[in-house]
Amino acid sequence: MKKILSVRGLLTLFLLLTTIFAVWATYYKITVWGFSFKPTEKSDVWTIDAHVSFQPTGEPIEVSLSTPSIAKEYKILSEDTVAKGYEVQKDDKNHRITMRSKGRKNKQNVYYRIMIYDNEDVTGKVWEKTPPKIKKPAFNDELQEAMINEIWTLADAKEGSAARRIIELLNEEELAPQVDAFLPVKKSPKIMADKIIYLLSVKGIPARIVRGVKLAEKKHSSRADLMLEVYEGSKWKIYDIETGEDGLPKNFVIFQRGGVSLLDVSGGVNSEVKFAVAKSVISSFKMAGRRAKYENSRLFNWTIYDLPSLEQNALKWLMIFPLGILLVVLLRNVVGISTMGTFTPMLIAMSLIKTGFWAGFICFSVIVMLGLLIRTLLTRLNLLLVPRISAVVIFVIIIMQVLTVFGYQADWRVIASAAFFPIIITAWIIERACITWEEDGARNAIKQIVNTLFVAVVTYLVVSSSYIRHIMFAFNEWNFVILAIVMLLGTYTGYRLTEIKRFAALVKDK
Amino acid sequence: MFEWLHYFSYARKFHQAGVLGMNARNYKIIAHYNKRSLYPLVDDKVKTKQLANSIDINTPHMIGVIEHQYEVIDLPKIVRGHKEFVVKPAHGSQGKGVLVIKKYQDGHYTTASGKELRFREVYQHVSNILSGLYSLGGQYDVALVEELVHFSDVFKDYSFQGIPDVRVIVYKGYPALAMMRLATKESGGRANLHQGAVGVGLDIRTGNTLQAVCHNQPITHHPDTGADLMGLKVPFWREHLLIGAQAYELTGLGYLGADIVLDKDRGPMMLELNARPGLAIQIANGRGLINAIKKIDKDYPKNLSAEERVDYVLNHD
Repeated sequence: MKKILSVRGLLTLFLLLTTIFAVWATYYKITVWGFSFKPTEKSDVWTIDAHVSFQPTGEPIEVSLSTPSIAKEYKILSEDTVAKGYEVQKDDKNHRITMRSKGRKNKQNVYYRIMIYDNEDVTGKVWEKTPPKIKKPAFNDELQEAMINEIWTLADAKEGSAARRIIELLNEEELAPQVDAFLPVKKSPKIMADKIIYLLSVKGIPARIVRGVKLAEKKHSSRADLMLEVYEGSKWKIYDIETGEDGLPKNFVIFQRGGVSLLDVSGGVNSEVKFAVAKSVISSFKMAGRRAKYENSRLFNWTIYDLPSLEQNALKWLMIFPLGILLVVLLRNVVGISTMGTFTPMLIAMSLIKTGFWAGFICFSVIVMLGLLIRTLLTRLNLLLVPRISAVVIFVIIIMQVLTVFGYQADWRVIASAAFFPIIITAWIIERACITWEEDGARNAIKQIVNTLFVAVVTYLVVSSSYIRHIMFAFNEWNFVILAIVMLLGTYTGYRLTEIKRFAALVKDK
Repeated sequence: MFEWLHYFSYARKFHQAGVLGMNARNYKIIAHYNKRSLYPLVDDKVKTKQLANSIDINTPHMIGVIEHQYEVIDLPKIVRGHKEFVVKPAHGSQGKGVLVIKKYQDGHYTTASGKELRFREVYQHVSNILSGLYSLGGQYDVALVEELVHFSDVFKDYSFQGIPDVRVIVYKGYPALAMMRLATKESGGRANLHQGAVGVGLDIRTGNTLQAVCHNQPITHHPDTGADLMGLKVPFWREHLLIGAQAYELTGLGYLGADIVLDKDRGPMMLELNARPGLAIQIANGRGLINAIKKIDKDYPKNLSAEERVDYVLNHD
């Protein structure tokens, strides 16, 4: 008990709690909001527009449209209707959307729009225990019966299930004469599907039409795509009516299946539904907000991700700091590198990100060297401390101006990045370096500068990674974990790495 | 490739040898036994001096204090009648900003290294002290003017310029470790080990040399003067330790470093106290601090007077 209540025990508990919270929050963000660890992760988002048009008769209008019954295949990003003056009602259980209105005169156009993403492979099987009743068709005459039997004989020569055999036979490039005679001259998918259902019913196999939309780019106002659903051994199995392949294709969104209709319009005639499909690629990160809205996740409004992008960018910048601070703590208290000023290296690293590494590195070195030169000249003037450091600050600003203008004119971007360095910090580095130089010699001064730059570069290497920046922004709950680690490091009493060299003599001869 | 793994074996060896690391010093000792509110007593050398004098601990005599910029011009008036003096920042550390004037005559100032300064340069130096250039954290400071220490002839050849001083680490009032610091040419007359000064570990019971190091390497002779360091014996050793032990009552700091110089005429004098004494003393002694600290925690009696504590240390192994 005493151990738990000690500072270290409490901080460990804090670290544990923050880690659990961070893991949970990360999981939530990935599953509900669709955040990703990769900064460049993109998702295909498909927009399907169902355009219903009809001529009203003047009676009260009721449009009932079957909507995708999306379970696993897709996730819905948003769902929307454009139907001015209509009362819209959604029936999630039966997957229907109903739009009602009083009688109207002119041709009506209403739209149902759904945005979906993340198609996953599924087999498209629907389990149904009780087999549907089927009535075997009666043949008109013996000739027809003979023809059907001949077709089946041909089909039986092929391989696969009955449905597959018959579909393949009906889709052969050079049709057998019997089949050619059976099929009408004008073949639409609907007619083909009906013929296949008829042929299957002869064998007592139930089958039905499935309507939906095949996701393909540049699809404007086309009719619903058809597939066939065949009852095989207590489940409905989907077949492509052209190839006979079974299973639901990845890019097929089912709008209607089974006994229900795709579209019912009362109070209107000549009704039809046409589909348009468009694909867009959105970064998963940007999609998160819309997704959260669809999921009714109110929490999202209270996160940084719902802020305007200006604020978001400023925060994005701010949020790498905790990691940089953690690094500084590690390098100072665990490794034991002494630097000029505690957070100076981190601020230099931040500037390096803005300028680019080599440009910033060269530029910073040039500023410090010129500054040291000027500071050495100032020494001879015997100025008081505050005015002297102020003079150095002004000199640094002047150096930055000159370098930036010079760099711009010479089209030498390396130098033009001078303006990004923190002025006061740079001036202090120059002042401290100069005093260390005078008091402890050039070696110590250079060592201090090298140490500072080393820590800055290490910090830069970590925080410049776009992955790490993205993760620190998207999963900002880890800031709590970093806080806990930093506080826990405040109780670290072990040796520093650099103390090994320092104290090595103490254990060498023993 | 796996050389870093040696870190763990080293850490274990250090632990066994009782080496006190920086993190452990700060977290386990300083944070526990040195109350922050007591720091000003030792960080301000004027205050320390007044405190020490109040219980008759010897310190170099104070000539004057310069607190404001307009007083700097009066420096010649303050040091009138003195042939030599030292100016130091009241809040300085590691001997930074200490100006030793060995000869002051007719407006000419000669430093310890023999460099001749004009008043303008001395004025500049004092101004720098006041503006906080040498103080911890850079706050405004005051300049302390005091008499020069004439170090004992015993140490004549042991130091290159600069004053040899004895640093005693005092834990809970008991002197725990001691060393003598000798300036070298490389250290520029200052007594900081990391700048190349020689550290001589001293036996806490006798004041005799245990070993000497320079830049972490064991040596037997002073690199500049060639003096035999192994034969060094600090006279008035009990008085040295007593100053350290009294500093505990004086400040209330459970862990402190007392810097003591031996004056030819006035005997051991307290130069300054330090609330965060460094760890280099372990290198000079060739032994870790933790063992000494543990022994004091465990065996040494509490509630003894300073004299009794020193006697206890001198008579117990």
